[in-house]
Amino acid sequence: MKTLLLGAVTAALLHITPTVVLVKRQDAVNRLLPGADQFAAREVHVSSADSRRVHDAVGWEPPDGMVTFYVGKRQDQVTGALMFMRVDCQHGPLELAVGFGPQGTIRGVEVTKATVEMKPWVLEALRAGLTDAYRGLALDKAPAGAEKVKPRVGAMPVYMAELVDKGVMHAAAAYRLFYK
Amino acid sequence: MLYDLRHSDLRVRWLVTLLLATLGTSYLFGAWMVALYAGFSPRKVAETYGPVGEAVMSMQMPPDTTVVTERPVSMAEMGEEMHHVDRDLLVQDTHVHMPMYAVIAAALSVITLGLTLPRWGGLAIITVLFAAPWLDFAGMWLTKLASPRFAIVTLAGGWAMALGYTIVAVIATYQMWWRKS
Repeated sequence: MKTLLLGAVTAALLHITPTVVLVKRQDAVNRLLPGADQFAAREVHVSSADSRRVHDAVGWEPPDGMVTFYVGKRQDQVTGALMFMRVDCQHGPLELAVGFGPQGTIRGVEVTKATVEMKPWVLEALRAGLTDAYRGLALDKAPAGAEKVKPRVGAMPVYMAELVDKGVMHAAAAYRLFYK
Repeated sequence: MLYDLRHSDLRVRWLVTLLLATLGTSYLFGAWMVALYAGFSPRKVAETYGPVGEAVMSMQMPPDTTVVTERPVSMAEMGEEMHHVDRDLLVQDTHVHMPMYAVIAAALSVITLGLTLPRWGGLAIITVLFAAPWLDFAGMWLTKLASPRFAIVTLAGGWAMALGYTIVAVIATYQMWWRKS
């Protein structure tokens, strides 16, 4: 019985907490594709060779071989694109919306979802100006949001910032290699 | 029978009753969550756990060259998230859920050991209790790696879980509080 109870407590502690929405996807679209009134989903079914290429570049592969960019247009002119990117860690998943401007730089980043446990850490990192670090970043530059917030926040918010850096790096690589 | 729930101390029967009530409530919310995120039909389950949803059910292998398609979408469609479980998320789900399922199956099995049942009946219930999570996750992995047709295995696992719980809850409640002799 003792083992059973210990097992139950361990399992409960291991359980990932539920996901919460920090920014609604539609609000993220409005912020990252401002002015767009038409949208298209550009779905890229990635070949094995290209999957390996992106893996070699950033250590990440498109989940199930698919990347979706949402393209914003105004009067048939492309105003930018965005993609939703998930980053996993032992505390659960984070979801980011990463926006790209027409010049091919990062327009902005929104953290759209986190788990209940991660939410306060993410909010602390955001309050310290995490997403400012990505605005206008060139696609070949390494994101350094964590470095920026490190002096002002605790260890877990820095860890969250590192995860966001990783997601931004993956999204930038996907955009650079697959958005044509 | 290793112990007899019918004649056990009131505190034990109260504990078992509350455990069953709590598990029952969590199963109801579990069913609600399945309805929200995966669905109860093989097609919905295949869309959730298959390669990348229905669109590529016919394209399970990566293409030889990268293929790009574009289609117009509305703002509402972009906001709508199709819940899709990719391989990495399924690894995480399996890792966190399997231990919990094992503990629940073990708890229900311990209750089963205290029921007045023929030996084969107890063995059958315990088998169902442990087979359910195996079927559940085997179905998810086979749907992802082999064929969307295996979605039915996940559904069978879900129903087996509900069936196992219902059998234990009904028999235990009846024997603990009504059929004392």
